[in-house]
Amino acid sequence: MATETHRLAFRAMRTDFEFVLCGADSRRLRVAAEEARAEIEATDRELSAFSLGSLLNKVNREAGERPVKVPGRLLELFVLCRRVYRDSGGAFDPSVAPLMEAWGFREDPERTPGAGTSSDAASVAEQRSAVGLDALELDPAAGTVRFRRPGLQLDLGGVGKGVALDRAAEALRDAGLGHFLLHGGSSTFLAFGAPPHQPAWRVGVRHPRDPERVLASVELRDRALSVSGQHGRTILADGARLGHVIDPARGAPAAGELAVVTASTAAAADAWSTALLAGAAAPVSWKACA
Amino acid sequence: MNDLDRREFLRGSAGGLAGLALVPELDRLFPKLPAGAELRVGLVGTGARGKEILDELAKIDGVIVQAICDRDSGKLRSGGRRAKDAARHDNVEQMLEQEAGLQAVFVATSTDQHRAVAEAALAAGKHVWCEAPLAHTLDDARALAASGGAAGTVFAVGSEARSNPTYQRARAIFKSGGVRDLVSVRGGWFQKATWRAVAPSDERERLLNWRLDPARCAGLPGEVASHALDALLWFTGERPESVTGRGAILLHKDGREVADTVALDFALPDERRMGFEASLANSFEGEHLVLRGTHGTIKLASTHAWLFKESDAVTQGWEVYAHREQFFKDEGITLISNATQLADQGKLKEGMGLPNPPVYYTLHDFVAAVLEGGEPVCSGVDALAPTVLGILADQAIRSRQTVAVDPAQLSLEG
Repeated sequence: MATETHRLAFRAMRTDFEFVLCGADSRRLRVAAEEARAEIEATDRELSAFSLGSLLNKVNREAGERPVKVPGRLLELFVLCRRVYRDSGGAFDPSVAPLMEAWGFREDPERTPGAGTSSDAASVAEQRSAVGLDALELDPAAGTVRFRRPGLQLDLGGVGKGVALDRAAEALRDAGLGHFLLHGGSSTFLAFGAPPHQPAWRVGVRHPRDPERVLASVELRDRALSVSGQHGRTILADGARLGHVIDPARGAPAAGELAVVTASTAAAADAWSTALLAGAAAPVSWKACA
Repeated sequence: MNDLDRREFLRGSAGGLAGLALVPELDRLFPKLPAGAELRVGLVGTGARGKEILDELAKIDGVIVQAICDRDSGKLRSGGRRAKDAARHDNVEQMLEQEAGLQAVFVATSTDQHRAVAEAALAAGKHVWCEAPLAHTLDDARALAASGGAAGTVFAVGSEARSNPTYQRARAIFKSGGVRDLVSVRGGWFQKATWRAVAPSDERERLLNWRLDPARCAGLPGEVASHALDALLWFTGERPESVTGRGAILLHKDGREVADTVALDFALPDERRMGFEASLANSFEGEHLVLRGTHGTIKLASTHAWLFKESDAVTQGWEVYAHREQFFKDEGITLISNATQLADQGKLKEGMGLPNPPVYYTLHDFVAAVLEGGEPVCSGVDALAPTVLGILADQAIRSRQTVAVDPAQLSLEG
């Protein structure tokens, strides 16, 4: 039976997503792609830190005052965030938003593209006291989330694309598809099965300072890969160009240049690549999660 | 409408007119329910629309999704991922029988199932919110409107126009003579989509593809034009006298019989017209409705609305509160009655649209009506006329003839 390939590219979550789906029936591929895209868009509506109508925004507005009931899958996401926060020694911290704001990275990039502004030490010190996911209180039995520290704000940008891809993959598998590659922003990939006549999907990782050069080529099958780098929004401070990933321990842009992680889910890969970059001791970090 | 659409729209249509964006009251954007109140609900139909409803219900305090129901196991499973604590059922009767304490039921099934499901829930003493349109046949629409009216519980229909805070603001301006005398109406709904579902078996696929079955769906006129007609009726009270239409399959030549692109022409009283186009082959301009008057034009676009004034229109008192905003080369004036409050909260940066999707507000209005003992924003009787007009428009396309509208068809009194 002939194998069809269907590609879909679209913009969501302030980045570019692309699906490559393989199967015998082009009609089925097209319909499944629509359903998977709907999952990405729904995740965007749910987790956007910039939309006043998102569920995350409601949590940020109200969880400092009272426990807020959230759907089970959002609670599970918070559990994942807290686990990676603990296991990474606080390097992955979705409550880092006040620090990003202090450094000028929090503006909606689609409305104010370009660089942030360097921050003063006093402002950073003040904002650091509001940061730390240890203040995130989860009650799985009641299905609620509460902030134990005033001013805590969550920004799930370090894990959101991965969550969206995992949910899109669930929709594709529900539709009976077994061979596809999805990516968000060319930085988070999720692969199932393989392309025709190949053992796995092959993803190239670009060198952080020489985009023309491929640093490594990774084979993916039923696995996710996330690359975090300092590209995108930057600031110029003391003659150095610094990226937008904040190291919570120092309260300043991270020194790492690139972190590459493979994991069984795109959400875990995303969270860990952010953690590795934020707390990096070396320019390039690698990690393979279970 | 995205930013590009908005810029193109303003550049292309504003001409010498000043664009006034219509922004609703802040309290309506973020409505509140009585503190501590709870409502245990069930959702029937966990397809794409049902999942959207679950996402929005998650933001409404006090709503507990106790059960979900779908005949299709795949849809039920994917719906269950959004409502992990909810009991799952594959038929409505079972859900109604086994779920003690269920107070309200949301009906998001295929349109041909609305009547059976909603009437079963009403008969079980539940409050019911039913997706619009009411039904796919004139008989079912009339019967469900009557059942809803006779029920001792709240029966609300999901009219996104009537619950939309931006539309409410625009309607108040329309009603106060903001565009003066109606000249014409033009509506559209454009989305690049297949409307097709796939499933592992033919039987499941047939079940899911109700929109492509002329016996189970009144096509684009019934499913989407009816929403624009609802807005027309609610804004203007003008009732179409007849409808003609044309439809074709321009993109999805996959064996379907239902047109993927339609054009409708409704005759309004005094020789005025309402044109409406819809397509699954192109997404430009999305969903919109333009109400053109002798002193101005209102454009409604789901989450946004604008007023464009003619140069000879009188300046009204509320315009002194206008907030000015630049859109590409055009300067729009944002009308906000509490602009200072919005600006203080940094919310002007969000633009002029709704923070939540329109469906959120219709769901919230229903929950409020149940918990506070109020009337539904859109009753079954309110929903009857737009449903009937959508069905007649579909008949006009299929027959390729002008279909007259009997006023008696549009109300239960007839």
